[in-house]
Order: sequence, then C-alpha cells, then structure tokens
Amino acid sequence: MLHLIDILLQSINLSTIWCLVFVSEFTLTYHPFFFFVAMESKQGTKHTILMVSDFFYPNFGGVENHIYLLSQCLIKLGHKVIVMTHAYSNRTGVRYMTNGLKVYYVPWKPFLMQNTLPTFFPTLPIIRTILIREKITLIHGHQAFSTLCHEALMHARTMNYKVVFTDHSLYGFADIGSIHMNKILQFTLADVTQAICVSHTSKENTVLRSGLPPEKVFVIPNAVDTTMFKPASERVVMDVIVIVVISRLVYRKGADLLVEVIPEICRLYPNVRFVIGGDGPKRVRLEEMREKHFLQDRVDMLGAVPHAKVRSVLNSGHIFLNSSLTEAFCIAILEAASCGLLTVSTCVGGVPEVLPDDMIVLAKPDPSDMVNAIKKAIKILPTIDPQEMHLRIKGMYSWQDVAKRTEIVYNRALNSSNQSLLERLSRYLTCGAWAGKLFCLVMIVDYILWRLLQMWQPDTEVEVVPDIKISRTNHVTEVHPSM
Amino acid sequence: MENNNNQRKWRKVAYGGMQPGFNDNHTDETFLQEMVMNANVVKRDILKVMLDSLSISQYLSIVSLVVLIWTHTLNSTITHTSLLILDITLLASGFFILLLTAKMLSFSLLINYSIKISFFTTSLYVLSPIYHTLTRSISSDSIWALTTSLIIIHLFLHDYSGSTIKAPGALETNPTLASNISLNASIVASLLIASRLPSRVLVFAVILFSLQVFLFAPLVTYCVKKYSLRLHVGLSVVVMGVSLGCVYELHRVMFVVLLAVLGFVNVVCPYWLIRIQEYKFEINGPWDEAKLCFNITD
Repeated sequence: MLHLIDILLQSINLSTIWCLVFVSEFTLTYHPFFFFVAMESKQGTKHTILMVSDFFYPNFGGVENHIYLLSQCLIKLGHKVIVMTHAYSNRTGVRYMTNGLKVYYVPWKPFLMQNTLPTFFPTLPIIRTILIREKITLIHGHQAFSTLCHEALMHARTMNYKVVFTDHSLYGFADIGSIHMNKILQFTLADVTQAICVSHTSKENTVLRSGLPPEKVFVIPNAVDTTMFKPASERVVMDVIVIVVISRLVYRKGADLLVEVIPEICRLYPNVRFVIGGDGPKRVRLEEMREKHFLQDRVDMLGAVPHAKVRSVLNSGHIFLNSSLTEAFCIAILEAASCGLLTVSTCVGGVPEVLPDDMIVLAKPDPSDMVNAIKKAIKILPTIDPQEMHLRIKGMYSWQDVAKRTEIVYNRALNSSNQSLLERLSRYLTCGAWAGKLFCLVMIVDYILWRLLQMWQPDTEVEVVPDIKISRTNHVTEVHPSM
Repeated sequence: MENNNNQRKWRKVAYGGMQPGFNDNHTDETFLQEMVMNANVVKRDILKVMLDSLSISQYLSIVSLVVLIWTHTLNSTITHTSLLILDITLLASGFFILLLTAKMLSFSLLINYSIKISFFTTSLYVLSPIYHTLTRSISSDSIWALTTSLIIIHLFLHDYSGSTIKAPGALETNPTLASNISLNASIVASLLIASRLPSRVLVFAVILFSLQVFLFAPLVTYCVKKYSLRLHVGLSVVVMGVSLGCVYELHRVMFVVLLAVLGFVNVVCPYWLIRIQEYKFEINGPWDEAKLCFNITD
C-alpha cells in the first residue's frame, strides 16, 4: 500500500515538473515586457546594420562608447543594429543590451591588447552565418587596429555586401609598425564602399594612408552625451583654481609634459591646485615630481577614474588640461567643455577642430608655451559661464545628429553600384607591386572558400532569426550602458 | 553656426553639425595643405659619406687581421712568445693612445684600470686549461663553420658609429641590444678558435689577444676619431694596407675578396646611398605625433 502511494506521488511530481517547464517556456516567449514579434519585410530605407569591432563593452574607451551610442541612436531612427565583437573572458554568445541592441560575442579569443589573432579565413563561416541569419544589409567596421573588423569587411565584400569603415585614430608614416598598419588599411579600404573619419585631420591622414579618393571619405565627428556631462548646479568657489587632468598616464598622452608644466604653474600661482585622474606607466614620474617639489597637498592623484565618476571629477575643477601628443578627435575635451570647464590643450591632430576658439586655449606641445596658455586661461576664467558653455556644446554636438549623418553615408553606400569580382580585383592590384598581387590572392581564396561554403550549406538552409520588437516605453530617453 | 551666418563659407571644424550647403565628404583646396614633404631630408656629400664609411672598412680590416693571427697560430707559424709580446705591445699602445686622446684620464683611474686588467688576465690564465679542452669532442669543421657565422653576425650587428665599451667618464646612452649581441658573438668565436690550439699558453695568449681587440679596438678607434679626423683617416689607411698585405701573403683569393669588400663599402655603397636619395618620400603633417623638445630623464 505504502509502495503504491509512493509511486503515485512520484508521478504527480513528474507531471508538475513538466507543467512548470511548459509554463516557463510560455512566459519566456510571451513575457509581458518583451514582445517577440516577427516583423514583415523591411520597408523604406530602414537598414539592418552590423557593427564590427574588436572593441566593445565590457572593455571601455572611445571606440566602444562610439559604437554603443551610435547604435542606440540608429535604433531610435528605426534601423536594426547588431554588434559583433570577440569574446571577453567568459562572455561569449549573444547578449542583449538597452533597447534590444543585440551583441554577438564571437568565441574568438583576443591575443594582444584586446585584438584577435589575424587569421584571415577561419572567421568566414561564422561571419557568413551571422550575415544571413540577421538579414544584414550593410556592414560597418570600426577602428583600424581591429583585426576582426578587417576580416569581417573582407568577407562581407567577398559576399557582395556594402561596407562602411570608420577610422578613429591617426597614424604616422615613419616607423615599421605604421608602414605595416598602413598596408593593411590599404587592403581593407581598397574595396570599402564608403569611409568615415572623426575629424578633418583624420580624413587627410586616412586618404594619404589608404589612397582612397577624398570624396569617398566623410567627416562625422564624435559627440558627447550632454545629459551625462552637465555642470554642477552651483559653481565651485573661485578662491582656489582647480585644474583637472583626466587621461591615461602614458607617453602618447603627454604625461611627460605634465611633469614639466605642473611645478612651474604651482610656483607662479599659489592658489592653483591640480587633480589628476588616470593611471599608467608614467604615474611614477608624476609622483616623483610631486615629492621633489613638495606639492603633495596641491596635486591630487586619483588613480584610474571609472567612467561614471568622470563627471563628478570634472565638476570639481575650473580648467581642464589636455596634454596629448597625438589625437584624432579627443572626446575628453568635449566632455570637459560639456561640464562647463575651460579647456587648455596641446594643438595636435584634430584637437583645433573640436571647439570654437573662445572655448579652448591651444598651446604648442612645449612646456613653456603650455604654461603661457594656462596663464591665459586663468586670466579669462572669470568670463566663462559653465551653464552657457554647456548649452552651447549641447547645440553643437549630439549623437542623434551623428546618427543622422551616418545614415546619409549608409544610403549612399547602398545606392552605389555593384561590382563584379574582376572589377574588385583590379582595384586590389593597384595597391602595390607585391602587396597588390598578394591581396588579390587572398581575395580569390576567400571567394573560393565562400563558394565552397555555399555548396556545403546553401544560404536558404541557414535559419533566419525572427526580428524582435521591444515595447518602447517613454522612460527610455537617456542612453546608458546597462551592463 | 554662431557668427558666420552671412557668409556661407566652408570651415575646417568639427563642431556645429553638418555645415549648411556642404556634404560631409566636402573637400576643398585646403585639403592636405598642411602636408609637408621631405622636410627632414639631408643633402649628402659623396666625399663625406665616403669618409664616414671609412670607419666600417677600418674595423673590417681589424677583424681580418685578428682572423689572420688565428690562422697563423693554428698553423703554428707564430710561437707563443711572439704572441705574448704582441699582446703586451697592443695593450701598451692602446693605453698610450687612450692617454693621448682622452681628456678625463687621471692617475687613480689608470691604477684602477691596471688592477682590473691584471685580475682579468690572471683569471683568464687560470681558466685557460678549461678552454683548452672545451670543444675537444667536436670536429674542426663545425668549429670553423660556427666561428665564421659568429664573425659574420658580429660584423653585421657591430655598432660602427660608437663603441660598446664606454670611454671613462663618457655620458652616453646605453649600448643597444644589437651591439651587445655582436660583442658576445665575437667573444664566443675567439673562445671556439682558442679551444683548437695545442698548448695552454697559446690558448691564453690567443684569447687575451682577441679579447683585447674585440673589446678595446672600437674604443681606441672611436677615441682617435673624436680626437682628430686626419689621424683617423691615416690610421684607417695604415690598418687597411697592413691587412691587405698580410692577406695577400697568406691567400690570393682571400685578398681579392677582402679588396672587393673594402671597395664595395668605401666606394659603391656611398654612391648607391646618394643615388637612392632621389626616391626618398617622407610625409609630415598635423597628424604626426608631436615630439617632446626636452629630454626625459627616468
């Protein structure tokens, strides 16, 4: 008897478990906050864009931020945006971010400075699958250092997709490293449909490096999230002037210039204090300088500042000092200006294009000239109104504007004529006596591999992902990474 | 656009959104205006380049002299007494030249040097039995092949513009990795050769000789060059003449090879360098990384 009851109980248990499974599947599919609706085919000029770069969250930096915010604004304009990047430690597979931004973390491990190993062909199958699954219409690659971006653009061109490339950095022409990088860039850009640069200086640089016709290169600067970088509601008292520096403390960011400039300014103005946020190999030199000149109480070293705290650090100061030796655009000075700080910066790269002359004091990258610039900044500081400056920046830069301008580039890319393999190969051939033939060979091999893949698994057999439409509630107005 | 409403002129700025009337890919005549080509190109004079290349051929001759001495010892045409006398003369003349040319050489420094050298010599003498039997189990062919390749590495990586061993009181940058590798290659080469010799005294004498040359000859020639250019030219010509003469007596084919190498280094290479200058294409512009105008002292 007891035995029988036991069996009965067990069967009940089993059935409840099955019930639970069904219920959970049901709630997953028809969750009240996520409406998975298969959409009809695309109408009008709405695109499905694949953003490709090695650099994306959880890594943090200018490029990552750019991709994220641009994607968010493009989604708001009605496009579908998908991001593809490599796996970050155990973060692999598909993830969703704010507003249904889908991110593919391709299981491809980085080997150096968040870059994947350059392997040319093994990424073809997965990239092809993603392109077909998501019904991608256009591929947008970011950053010249990213090998994943180069490979994706190459495969996409092989598969006759239109591609757009954004270059975020400047490169010289002198050393072996840059010669190598420039050749790779030339390879990718030889067949790119349109290119985007973040400043006019960057455009000149890219045109020289890649040999693209200048009219194919668009200048669309970065922007700043003005809702995130606001001045403090009441101004910090002016008895003590606080100069803020936020940058990685490395050679390229001019940490050595700071070592020369800070003691001189502290000697000239007893009421000036420095706040230095950031970490890096040059931090030791700055600390040495601080001890040598007995400035422990006047130079604050904060160490690395998380992005969420940048605003509060900026708002504790009056002047922002940027000492970079090279810079394609410099988002940091934009963030500082958005917080109402007067900026003093070295006049390098694209920096002079970023702000109007009355919001920035430029100096040559030389200690005495920078000291003079800071003197001038301290003199004009009382005339600066942070709130007014914030409003002006708000009128000059917004990510929505960037997205709209990028949309124009997309439309242009999609309207450009299709080209056959032979036409494209002839373009590669002009890249150099040896390199041109090598590039052609790589492209031919890629083409053959693509054809083989198509025979092995025809396009029609790749399952297409149903489109997801996330219910838009009104509170989604600010764009923030929700990690 | 704040103050430019009346004149619709394109400006090279990134702020203010898309400029009215112009697309984002607008390119005007200011494009690449700030590009500078071949700004740092130096016009070279063929005579000066030839004079500069003289120090390379001088060192080549010095090394060929060392190899000559090695072959003579291996052929037993030099006795150990004459080799030791040669060692002592070289050491003395090297010191003499350093004394003449250097300005910061004091008496205490000299004493310091002689103590160090005597320590070095003694330990070398004590160790020479080990060197004597070092490569006994290896065939002579492989030793010769290894030595030749080491000497070639040495010559390729040698720092011809300065000296790996620093002059006393000289405030210069640290020697590069390449010059260190070169120096070590030469030392290994001399140890290998010495290990094939029949007696311990010979081993000692040959190692001492080759170390003296490889370690101090660059220093001495560097000091001479800094002291007077004429003396440098004279010394180079004498060394080249002596080495050519000695090689001629030993081996005719080697003489031709050496002559060809010296001619290539001294005449063909300078001419070549001047000729390829016209292909120089250097681009500079606002995108370049700024150079700091002061020295970073870590």
